[in-house]
Amino acid sequence: MTVSFILNGEDVSAQARSVDRLSDLLREAFGLLGLRSDCRGGRCGRCLIFLDNRLVPSCIVPAFSVRGKEVVTIEGFAQTEDYRDIAEGFKTAGVETCGFCDEAKIMAMAGLLERSPRPSPREILEHMSAAPCRCTDPEAIVKAAQAVVERRAKRIYRRAGQ
Amino acid sequence: MLASDVHFPKDLVEALEILRRPGILIFAGGTDILREQGGRGLSLPAEVLCVQGIPDLRRAGLTERFLEIGAAVTLTEMLELGDAALPPLLAEAARGIGTPAVRNLATLGGNIAARRRYMDCWPALACLDALAELRDRGGSTWMNVNRLMGGDGKPAFPEGALITRVRVPIERWDVYVLRKVGPRDYPAPETAVFAFVARAEKGILEDVRIAFAGEIALRSQALESSMIGRSLPLSSREAASIAEGYRALAASLPEGLALQFGALVEGALDLLSR
Repeated sequence: MTVSFILNGEDVSAQARSVDRLSDLLREAFGLLGLRSDCRGGRCGRCLIFLDNRLVPSCIVPAFSVRGKEVVTIEGFAQTEDYRDIAEGFKTAGVETCGFCDEAKIMAMAGLLERSPRPSPREILEHMSAAPCRCTDPEAIVKAAQAVVERRAKRIYRRAGQ
Repeated sequence: MLASDVHFPKDLVEALEILRRPGILIFAGGTDILREQGGRGLSLPAEVLCVQGIPDLRRAGLTERFLEIGAAVTLTEMLELGDAALPPLLAEAARGIGTPAVRNLATLGGNIAARRRYMDCWPALACLDALAELRDRGGSTWMNVNRLMGGDGKPAFPEGALITRVRVPIERWDVYVLRKVGPRDYPAPETAVFAFVARAEKGILEDVRIAFAGEIALRSQALESSMIGRSLPLSSREAASIAEGYRALAASLPEGLALQFGALVEGALDLLSR
């Protein structure tokens, strides 16, 4: 079947079988290799995308179900100022990772800030469970989220003042 | 691995017409179906009915007497109704399911219609005496969620029926308890949810409900009725006798779960004994 949807801001169509997972379609038909299809059970967070502005694990989304919807992957999100806020906020807070789940953490953080612009430490930890990470201290994740919030608030404030 | 025919009905009338086809799979959030399948390709029946886009299944509304939630409303959207609308027992059950990203996909209808085991919202909805609207070619039926339990305690969601709405009565509850036991990330045989609500008026226990569900469900209206009308606080003898009744009820559970259920019942009764 042909599945038409919006991918990273562009109208696209792809041939998909009913048995295809969205994560596999995005990697194989569109070459979007920033997401991975590792656990295929929605647990590892390495396939997180935005589907109609909601963070979801694309490995448990069948490709047929995105018909007419909007998908944003890490490649699309990386073009935004929000991405830069998060990447810089992580750096400011000294969050260094092994690189295994960087994209997942960035997408999870973006999903959190989309819904809760000033999240509490509890919200941060709860939400970041979508991208479980063994190498980053949870306290550092909270500090990173707070750094991102500060950075984003300054940027928005500066823009409003212009 | 066979390809399936996937149908995308625009409205309920069209969906119910397609639902006549034997063996068709109803697909909304898909989390229960897809998380079970670890392989590369999905294994789905020959025909799939995708109900995500049906507007009637995506609505939620609040009246003075009840909260009504469309079956394809996601758990996140349900939580976004907020504390003023959503009973805390149901909110807590929903928050215990998966990660926020999984809750963005999982729907309330899917949580109730699971046939393999009870999912986390079931005990909360059972305790709240929620009603589910089931539709099929024969028409529409409102059914108490408790009636979706078979005589053997296992889920008994009717074949060929589409859950369209869930109606949760708005009632005052003075105490509530919601506890999930066993592995949290995805339901395992030893995962179950305990739900308890109680309300008192002038020192008399006016209503009390206890439900527990994993692979099988427990709820005893006889035991609940035996508590209603008692003066509060319960004496330790009364609490021990009621707890004994619940321990007998749990005889059909695996030993570990039966012990946890017993402890949870004692904890809940302790709240009525203070």
